[in-house]
Amino acid sequence: MNTSADNAIVRLEDVHLSFGQTHVLKGIDLTVNKGDAVSIIGPSGSGKSTILRCINALVQPQSGRITVGGTRVDQLSKESERIALRKRVGIVFQQYNLFPHLTVLDNIVLAPTRILGADRREAEKLARELLDKVRLAEKADAYPGQLSGGQQQRVAIARALAMKPELVLFDEVTSALDPETVGEVLWVIRDLIRDGMTSILVTHEMRFAEEISDTVVFTENGRIIDHGSPEQIFHTSDNPRIRQFVGGLSGGRGAVRDGEGI
Amino acid sequence: MQDMNLSDLFVSLTSRIGLNYEFLATGYESQIWRDGFVTTLYLVALLIPVSLIFGLLFAACLTSGKLWLSSPVRGFVELTRNTPTLVQLMFSFLVLNTFVSNLVGGAQNNPLTPFFWVVAVVGLHIAALHAEAIRAGIEAVPASTIEAARGIGFSQFQILRYVEVPLAFRASLPAIVNNLINLVKLTTVGNAIAVSEITYASIMVWTQRDNVVSLMIAILLFFSIINLIVARIGLWVERKLAVPGYGI
Repeated sequence: MNTSADNAIVRLEDVHLSFGQTHVLKGIDLTVNKGDAVSIIGPSGSGKSTILRCINALVQPQSGRITVGGTRVDQLSKESERIALRKRVGIVFQQYNLFPHLTVLDNIVLAPTRILGADRREAEKLARELLDKVRLAEKADAYPGQLSGGQQQRVAIARALAMKPELVLFDEVTSALDPETVGEVLWVIRDLIRDGMTSILVTHEMRFAEEISDTVVFTENGRIIDHGSPEQIFHTSDNPRIRQFVGGLSGGRGAVRDGEGI
Repeated sequence: MQDMNLSDLFVSLTSRIGLNYEFLATGYESQIWRDGFVTTLYLVALLIPVSLIFGLLFAACLTSGKLWLSSPVRGFVELTRNTPTLVQLMFSFLVLNTFVSNLVGGAQNNPLTPFFWVVAVVGLHIAALHAEAIRAGIEAVPASTIEAARGIGFSQFQILRYVEVPLAFRASLPAIVNNLINLVKLTTVGNAIAVSEITYASIMVWTQRDNVVSLMIAILLFFSIINLIVARIGLWVERKLAVPGYGI
């Protein structure tokens, strides 16, 4: 269906969204190419997470076009169509949101077997491979409550990957973690991106965004203020607001993470 | 000793401490009394699953977010919770049952027995209490957990089936066990419409034998034992389903 010459897998055009009286997105344009990693940065409340939820049809914008791999997401009217889309788009949340009553393995196996109708044995095999990938092979039989935050988040990533998604959305996945465990989660995401997984990340980890992104998008107050290569956004932007934001968070090039989160 | 069977031994031993179980030696009254135990056990065995199935159904309706599903169930829950079960049973048997009889052209054609009405009234009454407990459990499932399930691609029903109900059931289990213990005791309302459960059967015996205390002791022991077992099983299930790190 998607015959356009470009390589876009996600395209947002002039997306507007309000929750009641609150205008959250005020005309978002964003293009993500297959295999790219795009980081969305910006102050809290600027609409970053809402952009991800639009792409996954968890919320419906009032106007604008959203295209994901040939599907016009803004035109989906039936829940079954949205479900079909969500099977193709993985999402990982800030609070991990694992199913607390299921073991790590069952958390990963549940969706492929129940939604995709995968064979239990094959789903388990894939789940163990994914656990290996996120370096938690030995935790297959543990319950989420027995894992640290960083471990739970890595399981959540494995759970999203088990659906073999075309792209994965990461919604501030390290914001709830202590500084020491942030690294283990970022490592896993870095691996994924290197393997070519199309990823859109909402993040406050400036150093990480700079390192792994093909494109960085800066949002404020429901609009995209600027986008470009990490070099452009983090170092050569002439927008004083962006300079102030990235300067205040990362301390500029070569900053160590200790400087963050004051 | 040879021709003295166990019930004779029991009668002679208990008579030494002033209790009167002589009727056990007779065929007829002894049979009524034994059937009473069986009927009560039968009621309990039937009512527990009936109440649980309808409780789950009611809870699903209450939390469906669809007014045409939730409002009739809400109305029923309020009605059955706020009125005496004995009155509900009498109303069902004397009014609804008569209505059904008239509808099918006479009581002889009415397939609904007093036993049916006890199961229906007590079962749905306890189901309403289960539903409230399960509803509270479903509403306690964090919105973020449900959003994650939606984000993965689960349908509304799948979320209920694989996420909400398993979590809600764990949270509401202590309340459900409490309801079941009440249910066991509530089977005795059957005697108001001549269902020959154990209290009805006992009344039949003690009006002839004047042995109220002897039979009371048996009744109290009987119900205590059933409920001890129900509570034990409940505790066992609770432990079996306990999830590490999930606050129950």
